Amino acid sequence: MADNAVVDDVIRDPPRALISGSRPVIWLLVAPLVIGLAIFAVYPFIDILALSFSKSSLGRPFQKWPLLTNYLSLARDETFRATLIRTALFAIPVPLIETALGFAIALLLHMHLRGAGWIRGLVLLPLMTPPMMVATAWKLILAPSGGLLDGVLLRSGAIGQPISFLGTMPWAFLSVAIADIWQWTPFVAILSYAALQGMPEDIVEAARVDGASPSRILWHITLPMLAPTLLAILLLRVVIAFKLFDLVYGLTFGGPGFDTTVAAFQVWRTALTQFDIGLGAAQTIVFAILVSVVILPLTWLHRFSEARAG
Amino acid sequence: MSLFETMGLPNSLTRRRFLATGAAAGTAAAFSPWGAHAAPSLSGVTLNLMVIQPHVVGGRIVADGFEKATGAKVNVIAVPNDQILEKVTLDVQSGANVYDVVDYWYGLLGAFAHDGMIVDVTDRIAKEIDGGAFLQSLYDPYTLFDGKRWGLPYDGDSHVLFYNTEIFGRHGLKAPTTWDEYLTAAKTITEAEKGNGIFGAAILGRKEPFQIGCGYANRLCGFGGEFLDKSGKPLLDSDASLAAAQAFLDVAPYAFPTPLETGYEQGLPAFLSGKAAMMEFWTDLGVNAQDPKVSQVVDKWDVTQIPVGGSNTKHRASLDAGFGLAISAGSKNPDAAWELVKYGCSAPVNLAQMITPGTGIDPVYKSTLESEEYRKVAPKVQAAAQQSLNGALVWPNGAQAAKMLQGLADQLALILDKSKTPEKAMKDTQAMWVELLGG
Amino acid sequence: MIGTAERTKRQKGWLAAYCAAALVVAFFLLPIVFLVSVSFKSPDEALSGHFLPSRPTLDNWRNTFQIIPLGQYLFNSLTVAVFSGLLTVALAFPATYAMVRLKIGGRFLPAFTLATYVAPPVVALIPLFLLLRRVGLLNTLTGLVVVNGLGNLPVAFWLLSGFIRRLPIEIDEAAWLDGAGHMTVVWRIIAPMMAPGLAATALICGILAFDEFLLASSFSNDPSTRTLPVAIALFQGERLVNFGQMAVASITGIIPVYLIALFAQRWLVGGLTVGGVK
Repeated sequence: MADNAVVDDVIRDPPRALISGSRPVIWLLVAPLVIGLAIFAVYPFIDILALSFSKSSLGRPFQKWPLLTNYLSLARDETFRATLIRTALFAIPVPLIETALGFAIALLLHMHLRGAGWIRGLVLLPLMTPPMMVATAWKLILAPSGGLLDGVLLRSGAIGQPISFLGTMPWAFLSVAIADIWQWTPFVAILSYAALQGMPEDIVEAARVDGASPSRILWHITLPMLAPTLLAILLLRVVIAFKLFDLVYGLTFGGPGFDTTVAAFQVWRTALTQFDIGLGAAQTIVFAILVSVVILPLTWLHRFSEARAG
Repeated sequence: MSLFETMGLPNSLTRRRFLATGAAAGTAAAFSPWGAHAAPSLSGVTLNLMVIQPHVVGGRIVADGFEKATGAKVNVIAVPNDQILEKVTLDVQSGANVYDVVDYWYGLLGAFAHDGMIVDVTDRIAKEIDGGAFLQSLYDPYTLFDGKRWGLPYDGDSHVLFYNTEIFGRHGLKAPTTWDEYLTAAKTITEAEKGNGIFGAAILGRKEPFQIGCGYANRLCGFGGEFLDKSGKPLLDSDASLAAAQAFLDVAPYAFPTPLETGYEQGLPAFLSGKAAMMEFWTDLGVNAQDPKVSQVVDKWDVTQIPVGGSNTKHRASLDAGFGLAISAGSKNPDAAWELVKYGCSAPVNLAQMITPGTGIDPVYKSTLESEEYRKVAPKVQAAAQQSLNGALVWPNGAQAAKMLQGLADQLALILDKSKTPEKAMKDTQAMWVELLGG
Repeated sequence: MIGTAERTKRQKGWLAAYCAAALVVAFFLLPIVFLVSVSFKSPDEALSGHFLPSRPTLDNWRNTFQIIPLGQYLFNSLTVAVFSGLLTVALAFPATYAMVRLKIGGRFLPAFTLATYVAPPVVALIPLFLLLRRVGLLNTLTGLVVVNGLGNLPVAFWLLSGFIRRLPIEIDEAAWLDGAGHMTVVWRIIAPMMAPGLAATALICGILAFDEFLLASSFSNDPSTRTLPVAIALFQGERLVNFGQMAVASITGIIPVYLIALFAQRWLVGGLTVGGVK
């Protein structure tokens, strides 16, 4: 039965005897990951936590231990609060758009168009481009005087004055969003395409034979079946989007003013241009808590959809 | 043998038309980094010279020359502009100790010294160096912190005002000497020619101390102001300070679009392609402006000293950026590193770099600033650079300088995007500086 | 039999699809093609507002390779990408299996794995730097492989758990009944079935490692271990940025990676399909 092909979260427990008998082997399976995480995540985390309670500069860490001073100053800091909100305003809508677009592209590719293979390949290009170059390319396109877009618009008479796409709001924010969509939609597209390819053909065929229209098939069969995968991709994209740095650094440098300063950029500024590592560490911790809270509903949704698709 | 050859500097330089053997010989005794002695023999020694990315060409001149003169091997390691402190700190703290000599921005002097990243060279200087030969406007700011000296001046950056003579000619304008004249010129040109994409001035408003900070500092300098008073207290709420901020805001509407997103990479091409009629920049723009490969304004530009304003009539230099060489605290061979520092900061080497395109190195000696060779290569720039003989506006260089200057940059950006009035922004910056300095 | 009306509708459908495809391709190609155009522009033309250079020049293509060791940077980036991708998958796969199928670590370990991915790594730079220094991996490609390999573990876990879940539990049960130990099940049975999924995950993690900028720029000083994104960013550090050369460096970086991905991509799509029972 096709249903068994999709295993949901509620899986039958492996036989007890097998598990307890080979415990050392099982731990061996997990150990490398755990050790890897311990090195890469736990140790820095402890360091960051400690730094957040201290007064530290890049050159002289742990000078004093004022404990909560960094956190208190963050609580009072309006720009930091605005940064957190701004980051969330970016990290949720933009991945949503990317997921929708990416899935649409995957559907397109799935349609067996001639040359789909080529399109698939081309669609990978943005992902291959080093982020600094993505930023530079878009900067050359969006610069107000001498940029490609303004040049075209001015010459065609659509506008009289160059628009500052990177120096005024809301354009600056939108520009970063568009560059991000350009860069990451392929990520979604490729993963959704693979998921589409993996769908069992028989159900779709049966529906088509029954006379169901393509859009009905899409909304009532394809999407529900693929919901867990799409949500998983969305979740991953959201987490990555929360950490946005390269595009802001390259395109707007946080500006105009602070209008595109997202959390990762803010932390970078604090830690590496002002050398206040203690404060940067506190910012990181607060930010991590925020993100965890925000993605919690998404993880529930994902788990729910997996259970349903079973 | 010319001085350059004794010092191991590339022969191609001696063939340059402007180097008279007489002059070279005359400078030898006064400026050899090793006095009357021969260069030390350091064969078998390897030194790592850390320079910022824009200084790579100059760094190689130093490295190659030092290698020829002493037999040591010098590796030039480039780091991005904004990673100097980070790289050196990580290097020393982790015990990697890769760098021997570091190219530091003088604004970070306090941070470097306070955190123990560079070596106190007060005694070495006292024994071997004539501090008086350096331009006095920059000698102390570049090297003195907490009563001790920590390095030698390497690159004496200051801004001068470049302007496009062709565009000025079209409107019958003369080189501005005051910020008011500058504003008038910018307004006239922009209003007349913006339809053709030509604007009166390029303002670098990117929110970094080296970009937006310089624009403000030039005006503060012109208005006769200071960042800190003699006792180290901030003066950002002074009249000169406010006037400078206002002048900055006043020119924004007439500037090359748009100041806030204009960094070097937009501003420079704008001036070099004739789309911006005025630009404040370091003197090496003059060299680039004469290079037909990158410039469309060859022979169509001139340069003048930073305008004055308010009640101030003395043209001073604004010490925007500016670098020194210091011994890294992690260096495994501080004595050899010191030789490299002395060499890199010596007058002949300073001059050699000043006259070579692409190094970005500016005079740090009175003698090199006024030298005949410099005049032959960059006469206009030399004339403008004389402003440093009148005194200079010094940027803060204490342990908190980075934070202070970034805070200033943030507030200046808020002025330019009209989120804050100049008064409010400067007042807020003043309060922030006072708090950071523990006052 | 399809009636004429139906056929026209179908044809319109295909037309619409082709148009959409063309738009998509155009959007994704535009910046890249623009980059190619910029690579033929002299320094004063990059910001001219025109798409094509008015005086195309080969200077950038000639000079860039002489100015910087582009081949070395590309080699470094590719090495780091390939090996860290493999490392990530090698470490994550068995663990993901254990967590998903055998419920090791309960709810905690998966959540913890994801949680470690949430924070921006900026401040982690310092402890990691010190750590690498202590084990002597600073300024080495190995160090970058390790850092990227470990850093992408959560991504691999997340992607792989999706793939593993789609394999029917019957496979495992059959193997257990046959007396196979866990290692056998993981490596001899599940892995081959998941080969395309493993390949896809390795590819994604490799790409993430290839693109990584912040850590790479701090952990290697030397041109011999510098990666391509860092090298490109150094162009940006000049005062007079030569966009043409930057474009050349980027295109040279993109092409080989693109070719590899194009090749690997057949696995990606050929079978992120569950290799399982339908």
